[in-house]
Amino acid sequence: MYWLSGDKVSLLVDRLAEDYAVYGPRRDEVSGEVIFDRLNLLSRLDLQAAIPYNPPKYVLFPQYEEIIKYLYERQSRKVTIEKIDKLQPKALIGLRACDLTGILCLDRFFLGQEFVDEVYLEHRQKLFLISNTCVRPFPQCFCVCTDSGPAAREGFDLDLTFTGQGYLVLVGSRKGQRLVEEIGLQEAGPEAMARRKKIIDESVSSFDNFALENKAWISRATNRLTTGFIKPEVWEYIGNQCFECGACSFVCPTCSCFNVEDVNRMGGATDRVRTWDSCSFEGYTKMAGDHNPRKPVEDRRNKRFFCKLSYSQSKKYLRPGCVGCGRCARVCPGDIGLPNVVTYIRREITGE
Amino acid sequence: MSYYRGICNFCGTGCGHLLQVENNRVRGVYPLPGHPLSRGRLCVRGWHIHELLQTEERITRPMIKEGDSFRPVSYEEAIEFTASRLKNFRGREVACLGSPRASNEENYLFGKFARAVMKSNNLSLTSDAGLEESARILLEGCGFPAMTGSLSELRQAEFIMVVGGDLTKQNPIIASEIHFARRSGAFLATISPRKTQMARLSQKHLRPNPGTIWLLLEALARALQTEGLVKADYLDDKIENARQYLEYLDSLHLKQVSELTGVEEQEIILLARKFYESESAYVFYPVGIQSLDRRSMSALLNLFLLAGKPGRPAGGLCPVTGISNLLGSLDMGVSPAFLPGYFPADKEISWKRLEELWQVSLDRTPGQSAGSCLLENQSLRALLVVDHDEEIIRHINRIKELDFVVYFGAYQNAFAGLASVVFPRLSYVEEDGTYTNSERRVQLSQKKVEPPAGIRPLWETLSRLAGALGQPWPYKSAEDIMAEISRVVPQYSGLSYEKLRASPGIKWPVDDLHLSGTEYLLAEEAGCRFRFVFDRSPDRFQNISSVNEGRFPFKLVVGRSNYFWHQNSVMKRTFIPKREYNALLLLYPKGFVEISEEDARALGLREKQPVRIISEAAEIKLAARISPDILPGMLYIPYFIEEMISGFLHHQASDLEKNEEFFLPVRLEKVE
Amino acid sequence: MEKKLVPIITVPEVATVTDIREEIAEVRTFYFTFDRPEIEQAFKIRSGQFIMCTVFGAGEFAVSLPFSPENDRKHISVRKVGRVTSALHELQPGDRIGIRGPFGNGFPFEEIKGKNLVYVAGGIGLIPLRSSIIHVLQHRSDFGRLILVYGARTSRDLMYKDSIREWQATRDFETYFTIDRPEPGWNGQVGFVNQLVAGLSLPAENTVAFVCGPPVMFNAVIRELKLKGIKEQNIYSTLERHMKCGLGKCQHCAIGRTLVCVDGPVYTYKQIRTLGEQI
Repeated sequence: MYWLSGDKVSLLVDRLAEDYAVYGPRRDEVSGEVIFDRLNLLSRLDLQAAIPYNPPKYVLFPQYEEIIKYLYERQSRKVTIEKIDKLQPKALIGLRACDLTGILCLDRFFLGQEFVDEVYLEHRQKLFLISNTCVRPFPQCFCVCTDSGPAAREGFDLDLTFTGQGYLVLVGSRKGQRLVEEIGLQEAGPEAMARRKKIIDESVSSFDNFALENKAWISRATNRLTTGFIKPEVWEYIGNQCFECGACSFVCPTCSCFNVEDVNRMGGATDRVRTWDSCSFEGYTKMAGDHNPRKPVEDRRNKRFFCKLSYSQSKKYLRPGCVGCGRCARVCPGDIGLPNVVTYIRREITGE
Repeated sequence: MSYYRGICNFCGTGCGHLLQVENNRVRGVYPLPGHPLSRGRLCVRGWHIHELLQTEERITRPMIKEGDSFRPVSYEEAIEFTASRLKNFRGREVACLGSPRASNEENYLFGKFARAVMKSNNLSLTSDAGLEESARILLEGCGFPAMTGSLSELRQAEFIMVVGGDLTKQNPIIASEIHFARRSGAFLATISPRKTQMARLSQKHLRPNPGTIWLLLEALARALQTEGLVKADYLDDKIENARQYLEYLDSLHLKQVSELTGVEEQEIILLARKFYESESAYVFYPVGIQSLDRRSMSALLNLFLLAGKPGRPAGGLCPVTGISNLLGSLDMGVSPAFLPGYFPADKEISWKRLEELWQVSLDRTPGQSAGSCLLENQSLRALLVVDHDEEIIRHINRIKELDFVVYFGAYQNAFAGLASVVFPRLSYVEEDGTYTNSERRVQLSQKKVEPPAGIRPLWETLSRLAGALGQPWPYKSAEDIMAEISRVVPQYSGLSYEKLRASPGIKWPVDDLHLSGTEYLLAEEAGCRFRFVFDRSPDRFQNISSVNEGRFPFKLVVGRSNYFWHQNSVMKRTFIPKREYNALLLLYPKGFVEISEEDARALGLREKQPVRIISEAAEIKLAARISPDILPGMLYIPYFIEEMISGFLHHQASDLEKNEEFFLPVRLEKVE
Repeated sequence: MEKKLVPIITVPEVATVTDIREEIAEVRTFYFTFDRPEIEQAFKIRSGQFIMCTVFGAGEFAVSLPFSPENDRKHISVRKVGRVTSALHELQPGDRIGIRGPFGNGFPFEEIKGKNLVYVAGGIGLIPLRSSIIHVLQHRSDFGRLILVYGARTSRDLMYKDSIREWQATRDFETYFTIDRPEPGWNGQVGFVNQLVAGLSLPAENTVAFVCGPPVMFNAVIRELKLKGIKEQNIYSTLERHMKCGLGKCQHCAIGRTLVCVDGPVYTYKQIRTLGEQI
């Protein structure tokens, strides 16, 4: 464990900026809200800011991304295809534990199972990840219910925990070790580990006071979702409130469904574009011709929550698909973010 | 930084968003947290605006038509050519069609070009009919032309009534605010023949037969009267023509209304009571392409006045605009009825004022909408159009006959092909501009990316054209134009870019009395005097009873759909919203007509069975889609199916333009 | 020994359409060879797999493979149903297409050795079964009885007429054909496929069925097979779903806990029944 005093943060960031495009939380000038953004001005980094409104998912899994480019010359019938390389290494600094967990879920999904997703892999190989312990939870948070915070346990290159004066720095990789040595951080001393644990424990016990927006006791809901014993009326009630905007998927740190389209550009070339998609859309499962196996909106809602919370789906991530960041509750026009859905399912179980 | 604050440009809600810009391209969009109205939410359209902004199907150079094709030319040549042609046309020979998607600055200048340079008052938007009507009624009734309440107070609402339309589809984030209000305790009622999602979210859904919404609304007023819920002293004090209106209501019998609308008398009384008992009330109705009709809008106003609701916070009469800057375009006077700032075009004093401000003489000949000109005005010879959606294609034959057509547009579309000259226009992220949403919130959308090389802003093109036609204009930027707008449009008098840059929008009127804008209409400021708006026609039931039987037993209603509505030219450049639209058409490749379960059973219809819809004038073959949302006796087709617009409904084009209450008597036959 | 398959994952391999055949109305067969000889050499498939086919300038779609893993010309048979497949139908011999794959699990020939095999197909449902039928014919002695029951609306809607003629000439291959309504010159049966299946005498214990066709036909045939005592785990079909990646990542083809592109497209009816979605 190392010690980074508050005034030395810029040292770390400046060093990172030499090799990486740096992303981190910053505040919007007008609204004061927090956005996870590319920091052209490194001084805009705000490690004390609340959990950002957007998850850092878009850095690894962009909303709109060209994956290959091809040119087909109709006369000569000649085809040239090129893969689009993502050259720029990126550093994500100030990741909240939930968002880091989200990235680990994406890793297990995109890089695991039958095939390795080459497009994701390229993004992922060039990342430097620095997490930031939530020393106090934010109103929307329920990561303690989903086992994904308030502090990171794995997957980071460096991990920061704010003590009031500076940061305890935990090293998670050789890359991280090298950086710490390069900028000459001092060891934090023998008590550091215990100190970090105490800060985390205090954070956990303050959830009752600060994290008041959402309660999602997901274990009972998980059981019900897995077995499927949820009355159709519950899904209908939820489905009636769904505005089919797709936002819950787009803001979810672990949602990774995508669409692929070939887009013809001026000059004759075509980009194969991969974009975010959501299983809540009617056209998502539609096949050319005449058949849609999944039609009513409540079926599609059902599908998404099954994917987030059922045991069988958690195989994909080796944990639940929800990381407790509370974003879906904030962006949902229908007020059926995951915590509310869990409440409705629990209400059915308990008959409250 | 790669995320920049902005305003969504799709519908009249005006949600805040963050656009992700990389290498001068918009690569993503995210809802803007902390926006006072949208509060960090977007709808399916808003979530995909970056797909539209990625398109390369742009108009990038001025072009002059030669034979069947276009020749790219320089701005100089295009302006010289256009000016040399335009100087041959004046007044009634010219019609100008503004765009509710263009900024206030662009619309203001386009209107000025029409009136001051072309001397023509044939100046309109396509989808203005409903909004203009609503403005006229609200002005007459309460002296204020737009939404009298404010959406940012919605969550404090006690009573909300949504009349007509399909709000969760047209303005999803406004609908979301209503949904939240209901969840925090407001009473929500929907009046609509179709069982919309809003209806499903409501505590009360009244389903009047198509064409009888206005009658049901009058009946609610009548119920206030019969239940003794009308305060005589309030009426005498505040409302000029109270006695006449009460007399008019006297002749209405709830029992008869119940028969004609299909809504039970008890339900009418119950809702009227609920409305009366609430401290304040919101009433929402759609204006735009699919708008409530004049009678229904008047009846709503009257009901609102009779119940004593105006001037209270957390309530109001709320016309909801379907397209981003529809309200702003009308504020700017892109209308035959109003000069900029809602000065009525039939008052000499309005013209005198504008002549003084513009320092130019103006023609007083009453104008028509561009649509009416194309249908009726035989002397029409030239047409100027800004960035148009494709439905004007309905008038394709008339447009082909015109001598000269100018198109100013950002994207390639079928309409551009009809033009004699095409000028490119910037997309809304390539230039500063202000947009005014349904609740009068004027928001500044700042430039975020550099335009494709060589494209000049519309205000500059118009200024150069005006100059070439002998009226040099001094504008150097969009901000300059706003400075002029603040002198010409009293509601905008306190607005400036400086003020707007630091705010999430300001609701007009912004003036000396309301420096930071206006949340809701204060009764005192309206002069405390209201008027009921109604026609005392001898037979108010005339149009209702005649259509029920006979050769055409069904009432065919035409509606909009979530992902596509009427904005083909915009939505077809996205992936996901386009797919969602295609999803329906994939299931029903030849289009569909919705029919109630009851009628389908009676006729022995199966899902997707082909049927023929026959009206007096035309017929069309479609697949039946059996829907629980439809009332028996009613048929519903979505507006977006091109064949319907161009073929079947073409005969009804002028009726269709009028309002949502429009229905077509038809019969339905099975195709064996 | 089968060589390990290395599918083409992200960047499509360019192939040339060598020949196009009008199969039935709206369905054409496109023969192709890879432009790079090493890929042409290495591209090996299993019966029942599918590929992602790019029509340049239009897009990509998933299509099941009708050709046999051994000694068969590479081809796909595609019905014109949407924008991309319509663009494919515009192509001429000599045009290029892009191929990714092969993807999916394929039929489990090892597990069904020695069994009687019944293939039941309706209309273009024969496409995904063709490869497997040819494979079985090439290894005829490994299996018991071999039966094909094939039906279509009219005789003009029967796929692969040349192959069928060859199969009919094969000994040890029982074939039954049916069309919905009588036609002049038609010698086969008239009626629905399930009626023919009902008429077959099959030993329940030792029989495996492969069923492909439109949902109504599928369900009717399953009913008949079950009446004969054939177990659900011995009835195979291939599922079609909207697919974008073929790799198990885009999730468009997710049904419950399974992904058709990697866990399928071949499923037993026992599996299908527990997926909880329409076929």
